Amino acid sequence: MNEIGGAPLFFLEFGDIVIYFTPFTITLFLLALVFTVFVLVSRPERQIDIAFGGDAYYAKEISLSELRFRRFMSIACGLACMGAMVTGDVFDFTLFVSLVGICNVGIVAAVKSRHVQNAAYQYGLVALAGTVPLFAAAAMVAATTGTLSMLELAKDTIQVPLAARALLVLGVMGEGMAPFYAAKAEMFRAPGAPYVIMCSLSSLLIFLRVAEVILLL
Amino acid sequence: MKKQYALALTLIAAVSGIGAMALSLWNLLPSWAYAGVLVIGFPLFVLGLGLYWMAREGEADIPFLGY
Amino acid sequence: MIAELLFATFFGLLLLGIHRKVIARIQRRPGPPVWQEILHMLKFSFKTTWVPATASTTLFVGVVLVAIGIWTAALFVVLSGGSLLVIFAIYMLHKIVEHGFGLSSGSPYGKFGGVRSVISAASEIPLMVSVAAIAIFTKSLMISDIVAYQQSYGPLLFTVPLAAVAMYVVLLSKMPFGPFSIVESKELVSGYKTEHFGVWRAGLEICNGLKTYVLLLTFILVFAGGLPLWTILLLMLLITMSLSFVCALSPMLSPYDSVTIQTLIAGLMVLYVAILGVVS
Repeated sequence: MNEIGGAPLFFLEFGDIVIYFTPFTITLFLLALVFTVFVLVSRPERQIDIAFGGDAYYAKEISLSELRFRRFMSIACGLACMGAMVTGDVFDFTLFVSLVGICNVGIVAAVKSRHVQNAAYQYGLVALAGTVPLFAAAAMVAATTGTLSMLELAKDTIQVPLAARALLVLGVMGEGMAPFYAAKAEMFRAPGAPYVIMCSLSSLLIFLRVAEVILLL
Repeated sequence: MKKQYALALTLIAAVSGIGAMALSLWNLLPSWAYAGVLVIGFPLFVLGLGLYWMAREGEADIPFLGY
Repeated sequence: MIAELLFATFFGLLLLGIHRKVIARIQRRPGPPVWQEILHMLKFSFKTTWVPATASTTLFVGVVLVAIGIWTAALFVVLSGGSLLVIFAIYMLHKIVEHGFGLSSGSPYGKFGGVRSVISAASEIPLMVSVAAIAIFTKSLMISDIVAYQQSYGPLLFTVPLAAVAMYVVLLSKMPFGPFSIVESKELVSGYKTEHFGVWRAGLEICNGLKTYVLLLTFILVFAGGLPLWTILLLMLLITMSLSFVCALSPMLSPYDSVTIQTLIAGLMVLYVAILGVVS
C-alpha cells in the first residue's frame, strides 16, 4: 500500500531527509499556501456587534499592534503547516505539528479579552500535553525500526508498532484541538478573520496528513 | 471592480481554458496541466462573468443585523 | 474536461432542485420547479453586488474562488481515478471554506454558521472510516483500483455495507434541509452564507452543484463500481430522492443533538472498522 495519496511526483533530498510530493500532499500544500497568502494580504474583518438595551450597534476594530502579532503568528502557522504537509520524516513531522500548536496558541492569545485568554490558556495546556505522545511516537518509531524516513517505513519489511501509531494520532489530536477553542474564543468576543481561519486550516491539514502517515507506516 | 476588468478576467480565463483544451487535444499539454488550468480558470471565469453581468455595484453596507 | 465540468455543475444543481421538489411533494406543497436551483444560480449573477464594509475583503472574495476550485479539482480526481484520500481531503477542506465564508464578513449570523461548521467536525469521521474499511479489502485507495476490484469481486456495497451506510450519513450531512444542516438553519438567517449575496452567492451555488455531483459520483463508483453513464445518473437520482425522503421526514436537530448524534455514529463506525480490521 505505498500509493496511498497517489504516485509520488517528485523528491527533494536534503541528505537523508526526503521531501516528497504526491497528489495528496501537493493538494494540501497548495491549500496551505493559498490561505497563507490570504492572511498576508487581507485586512482583518471588523465584526459587527449589537449594544445591549437599544438599537445601537458597533464594529469591533483590531489595533495595529495586535494585527501585526496575529498576522505574524498566522503566517508562521501557515509555514509550519506547509512543512508538515510535505516532509518525509516522522520527527520533522512531529516538530512541525508542535510548531503549529504553538502558533495556534499565539493566534488565539493575542486578543486582550478575559474569555479569549481563558480559551487560549486551556488550549495551551492541551497542546502542551499533546507534545508528549507526539514526540514519544517519533522516539518509539526510531527505537524500534532504526529509521525515521517515511519512505523506508512504508516498505513491507519494516513493522511499526501499533502503539507508536496510536500515540502519533493522539498527539496530533491534542495539537489539532485548536478550532474548538478558537471557536469558543471567537464567538462574538473577538474579530477573527482571516487569522482564526489559519487555526482551523492548520488543524484540519495536520489531521489529514497524519491519516496518510499512519496508513503509510 | 470595473466592468471592463471583469470582462477581461472572464475572457482571459475562457481563452486559457479553451487554449488548454485545444493543446491537450493535440497532445501538446499533459492532462494534469489541463486540469490545473481549469481548476484555476473556472472559478475566475465564473466570478468574472458574474461581476460583468451584475446589475450595478452598490455602496458597501454593513452586514444584516435583524428583521 | 470542460464539457464534463459544465455538465457536472448543471446536473448537480438539477439534483438539488429535484431534492427541493421531492421534499415539497412529501410535505404536500407544490414546490419550486426542478430547475429552480439553476435559475437561482443565474439570478444571483445578475444582482447588485458589493463587499460589506466590515468584511475582510481578500478572504471574502478569495474563499468563493477556493470553494469552486477545490470541487473542480475533486471532479477531475474522481474522473481520472485518483486517490480516494484526496477526495476525503477536499471534503474536509470544504469545512474550512464554510468557516471562511462565515468568518470573513463581520456578520454575527455568518460567524455563528461558521462556528457551527467547526463544531460539527465529527461528521467527517464516518468518511475516514469508510475509506479505511475499503482500504482493508482493496489494498489500494486509488478509485481506478477500487473500480477494478469490484469488477472481479462484486460491488463493495455487499462486502462492507456499513461503510456504505457511513458514507450515506456523510452525504446526508451535506444535503440542504437535512437533520444535520445546522450551519444554514433559519434562526441564523442563512448561516455561513448570509452575507455572500449576488455574484458571490452564484459562485457558492456552482460550488454546491459540483459538490453534490462529485460526492454522489464518488459514492456510486466506490460502492457500486464502474457502470455505464446513464446508470450512474439514474442511481444519482435515486440516491438523491432517498436523501430527500430522510430530509423531509426528519426535523432539523438542535446543534447540540446534531453534534452528539454525529459523534455517536462516528464512534460506532470506528468500532466497526476496528472489528473488521481484526477479523480480516
